[in-house]
Amino acid sequence: MNKLFSLIKTDLNVTFGLSSILYSFKAKRQRWQMLLFGIAMLSLIPTYVLFLVSLEKLYVSFRQIGQQSYFLLTGFLGSQMIVFFFGLLYVMSKYYFSNDLMHLLPLPIKPSHILTSKFITIMVSEYLTSIPVFLPFVIIYGIKGRVGLLYWIYTLLALITFPILPLVLASIVIMLLMKYTNIKGKRDLIRTISSILFIVLILYSQLKIQNLAQKAMLEGKDFYFNLARDANLLVRNLGLVFPPSMWGALSLANYNKVIGLTNILMFVATSIAGFALMIFLSERIFFDGLIGNIEVTATKGKDRRKDLYRVTSVKKPYLAIAKKELKMLIKTPIYLMNSVGGVIIGPIIIVLSLFTGEQSTEPLAQYLSSNMDIVILASIGMIGALGILNSVGATTFSREGKNFWIQRTLPIKAKDQILGRVLASIALQVLGGFVLIGCILFIIRLDILSILLILVLGLIASIPMTQIGMIIDILRPMLNWSNPQQAMKQNLNVLIGMGVGVLYGGALIILVKFMLNKINIWGIYSILTTILFISIIVFSIILKKLIEKQFREL
Amino acid sequence: MLKLNNISKSYNKGEVKAVDNLNLEIKSGEIFGFLGPNGAGKTTTIKMIVGLLKPDEGKIILDGVDVWQDSLRAKSMISYVPDNPEIYDRLNGIEYLNFIADMYGISKEERTKKIEYYTKLFNIEDSLGDIIGSFSHGMKQKLVLTSALLNDPNLFILDEPMVGLDPKSSFNLKEIMRKMCNEGKTVFFSTHVMEVAEKLCDRIAIINKGKIIALGTMEELRAHAKERESLENIFLELTDNE
Repeated sequence: MNKLFSLIKTDLNVTFGLSSILYSFKAKRQRWQMLLFGIAMLSLIPTYVLFLVSLEKLYVSFRQIGQQSYFLLTGFLGSQMIVFFFGLLYVMSKYYFSNDLMHLLPLPIKPSHILTSKFITIMVSEYLTSIPVFLPFVIIYGIKGRVGLLYWIYTLLALITFPILPLVLASIVIMLLMKYTNIKGKRDLIRTISSILFIVLILYSQLKIQNLAQKAMLEGKDFYFNLARDANLLVRNLGLVFPPSMWGALSLANYNKVIGLTNILMFVATSIAGFALMIFLSERIFFDGLIGNIEVTATKGKDRRKDLYRVTSVKKPYLAIAKKELKMLIKTPIYLMNSVGGVIIGPIIIVLSLFTGEQSTEPLAQYLSSNMDIVILASIGMIGALGILNSVGATTFSREGKNFWIQRTLPIKAKDQILGRVLASIALQVLGGFVLIGCILFIIRLDILSILLILVLGLIASIPMTQIGMIIDILRPMLNWSNPQQAMKQNLNVLIGMGVGVLYGGALIILVKFMLNKINIWGIYSILTTILFISIIVFSIILKKLIEKQFREL
Repeated sequence: MLKLNNISKSYNKGEVKAVDNLNLEIKSGEIFGFLGPNGAGKTTTIKMIVGLLKPDEGKIILDGVDVWQDSLRAKSMISYVPDNPEIYDRLNGIEYLNFIADMYGISKEERTKKIEYYTKLFNIEDSLGDIIGSFSHGMKQKLVLTSALLNDPNLFILDEPMVGLDPKSSFNLKEIMRKMCNEGKTVFFSTHVMEVAEKLCDRIAIINKGKIIALGTMEELRAHAKERESLENIFLELTDNE
């Protein structure tokens, strides 16, 4: 048991850098960075307030039909889904790609102990990302519903246990995936593709189940009668997507009845049982996926050696930086899933959700076709948003990690750094742009001019977004990581970048909304383009100053 | 050629002085050895020269260029080999070398010639197509050495270069250092291996607690020592007394 506690303690310390935070507090230079960081975090507040306001409205609308328990289900499902999808990425990197595994493996520790310590660290990260989503649901329900003390006790129990089950599922899925894809050669590629396919498949089946349940419920003769009679009707039917979420919602909604007690017991008991099952499985399959994973294939033969002259090519520094950035993104599975996966999964989900429904997309298509300007502007906005959503800009310096010394000692102009890193991000936006246009074409027809407008203006709009991310990342690069996941997914710079990006993008949207119907659409495009170009120039100047300063002083 | 004027660097709000008012002047065509016990300030000094750590005080001048004022010009004259070769382990060997060559703007002919020559010399030519993650510590070290030699640096700075190298490569590296000096370039390296310093260096500095406690040719160091003894004994005697 002591071993386990020591493992957990060390892993938490390493992952969240507790010792290094204490250490850095002593340094004077870190303080203004902390201040900046605080200001940036504040920029996230408006977005969050907006989220809370819309949640409250949602609650009111469910209460009007007497189904406020469905509001709780949405909270449970939403936060447990977040835990599951983040969990897939966290688990893969933490169980299989962190650097400390190489030191842990030769030590006399049981696989289940390694796994438990890592599981707990991931739980902490998951709390940080999912509690801001979970808490408002239960608090709004509790306050508005004037609930009793027992509700809050159940809430506390649910709060502690809700990430366990989705994380257990994510762990088991990844352990099986790693065991059976442990094939020499294209291991990373196979794993990335199968994970993306898996996510799409899960989403598809979730939407399908939801849809079927909805249909079955609506087709029932006495739907409205039942709706009025049974306050948990929606939960019981739509909760089938993930029964534990249903139990969670039912327990809180019926906290003063026996059914509330049985449901909270089921909720907690399945979590514990799931954890035990995962530990049991880990003893059998964890090392199978891991051990081959640490091996790296080397050819050690002359046959692989290509003609040196042929593979040697001269590139401008900024192109070489862009190429290197893209290579590293593509060759590191965690980066690939976060960046490329992100830009292609988003649009696919939109299309999937349209096509799992039985209802025709015709009315939507008609509405969109008659509002082409809005479609184009919204698409430009979406491609622009990819500039921050793909996390490439906001982690570009952090991803250098311990290799940062290389570029700091080379004679590279700040201009080349900016251009190269922006280009790498744009390459992903181009990909996202094509997927998005492909998805739109599923619904409506677009002419060549519209496609060009979307792509060109979208890409221009994505540049300032990428630059915002880069500015934040160079201000506080996270270089001390032992696992690529930390540089990308656990990097607060991405979140701060999104907050600032929302402010910047929001301002542009308000402006466009103001101009719409007042100015000719081409006038709007020209004003938008001018603003974007001015932003690009201003951000480039800021970035140049910051890069020169930080490359010198970090 | 390389001048360090009153360089100081401290950590923890000045509580720990890593380098304390250090002055050094190294001439062109010189192999300069930098010796000292662990934590003496060797790596800190080296990092300040190559642009990784900003000195709190003082100036570093390379061929008339202030390293911290005109850093791009200075960096194009310097090559640095760190003690721990942390490099992009997802790239393959040739991709890494091409990346570095692009940053220095080296022509295709020039880089092909150099890559061929040095990778053959260090016996890593057959591994260039493999990803760096599969390299051993020594192979990574050799790859970093190769990349550092691509731009024909005026100042070649190495931190503990012999660690992890096999005897043949270590011999080759010493030959390269010698040859560079004959061409009028400067080599500055830190080491723990007394034998290497004794045999290879034109001049040696011993640093302890951030200060230089001895500086000169091997002969001069011996003259100051109590008896005409080996560098190892001189080193132990000096660093023990501090």
